[in-house]
Amino acid sequence: MKRPESTMRQRALAGLALALAATSLAGCGVVGAKPWDRDLMARRSMQLNTHPNLTAFDEHIYFSKEASSGGRSFDGGGCGCN
Amino acid sequence: MQLTKPGAISLALHALTANLFVAVAADAQDTRPPSVESAEAPSVNSDLANDQGLTRLDSAILFYQEAGGRIRATEPVVSGVLNGTAGETLSVRIVADSLTGATPNGAAPWTGPQTFTTPANKPGSTTTVTTASGGSTLVTLPGSGLTARQYTTPAGQLPVDAGFRDERIGVDGACSTPIAENTRVSVGGAYSAERDYRSGSLNAGITQDLNQKNTTLSLSANVEFDRSFPYFGTPTPLTEMSAAQKGPAQTKTVYSLVAGVTQVMNRHWLTQLSYSYGDSSGYQTDPYRILSVVDPTTGAPLTYLYESRPRSRTRQSLYWSNKIALGPTVTEISARGYEDSWGVKSITAEISERVPITSWLYVEPQARYYSQSAADFFRSYLISGQALPAYASSDSRLGKFDAETYGLKLGMKVGGSGEFYVLGEDYQQNGRNGSSTAPGGLAILNTFTGVKATSIMVGYTFAFY
Repeated sequence: MKRPESTMRQRALAGLALALAATSLAGCGVVGAKPWDRDLMARRSMQLNTHPNLTAFDEHIYFSKEASSGGRSFDGGGCGCN
Repeated sequence: MQLTKPGAISLALHALTANLFVAVAADAQDTRPPSVESAEAPSVNSDLANDQGLTRLDSAILFYQEAGGRIRATEPVVSGVLNGTAGETLSVRIVADSLTGATPNGAAPWTGPQTFTTPANKPGSTTTVTTASGGSTLVTLPGSGLTARQYTTPAGQLPVDAGFRDERIGVDGACSTPIAENTRVSVGGAYSAERDYRSGSLNAGITQDLNQKNTTLSLSANVEFDRSFPYFGTPTPLTEMSAAQKGPAQTKTVYSLVAGVTQVMNRHWLTQLSYSYGDSSGYQTDPYRILSVVDPTTGAPLTYLYESRPRSRTRQSLYWSNKIALGPTVTEISARGYEDSWGVKSITAEISERVPITSWLYVEPQARYYSQSAADFFRSYLISGQALPAYASSDSRLGKFDAETYGLKLGMKVGGSGEFYVLGEDYQQNGRNGSSTAPGGLAILNTFTGVKATSIMVGYTFAFY
């Protein structure tokens, strides 16, 4: 059975709409932090990927043991393990 | 280091993870008023992430062991990032992999012993490339004179090829630089080589800060070229497993795109939403994997065919990640929805809690849940006498299953910018492919070949001028 392309497109558009909504909210000043309130954001513990090597290990394990990939980064994987 | 007791390690990980989540929940109930928060004592979680002008080295090693004597892997990695004073970065990473152990060959288990015959020589060569390891023997077949490798699976057991062995070395690099006050571009590439597979890729990306750097939009693209050259050539899909040499090497091309938005929601909360799309075309079949063709009445295996997968696959996913700093701890929560044109749909949810213990030590319990549906062409076996489908694979990775991971990370600050870290993880897939309506003796056998694995990762990172 082939996935209907229209469903995939609709979901992509929904994601894009969500992203745009977040961006416009930020523009209105509803969300966000003033530059002098960024102390917590500047911390190493608050970075999105604190341990790139551990993330890479985990992604490699999941890529080679599950059907899904991508999300956080690119799809491929660069190995013949899947 | 050898993980000889994955059971004990996994039990300890479960207990520690559960304990820490309970402790964190109890601590969270004891919330202080916000005014006290600014007077929070500095902890290992308050260190700043500024590496400007510094070089950071990060090396780590992964020890991975699957239960039941299946795959064992060791993967060391070394990476370095050079940070310029104007925000430019150059990063390089070298990774090696060594895998040994037994891997399911795709055949269904049976109530009697099963013998598998596979080629032993490279095409056009008389040199044996597969040693008679893992309980297999080299035999010369009467009539054809072909040298073949044979191995037998005992009655009732999952057929595995115990002679699996591979090594891989990979290198990747990237550089990025600001091209305007709020705009940054990056380019990168990767190359990896293993005994029977090569992969090369190139990528480029751009990020744009908006709203006083509260919002960051990002877009990146990647193109990957892969070449698969199995030890004995590439089998023609859905032909019978035999000792004869197979066809030429095959290629695959993958185009991927990731678009994301990162948003500072408030002083404590950072969120990221990204959409990724991938389009793979070319050879995507596993050349070593077979399927049983069984008798419609008794369920006994009659023959084995090489599996077959479509040459085209599109994937897309939506990933949402959050980092929340409340009190001294940092919580990370993420979710992913995924679907592809092979009919697989999945959801993933992850949570971790980084808890400072002292000014130099933190612990981070983590948990992950994953659930996927089966690919449209997933078959545990084929039934003799029925029309052959165009595509069929018995690979459990394409079947329906759930998986859980429990982990515990420990981080120890060393000097001003260094950290020693350890992560232990226990991963278990749960599924059942058996069916009471399966023919004959197969009805009582579970054909699910999912894994249970324990990983230990150890690393050290530091920065210097």
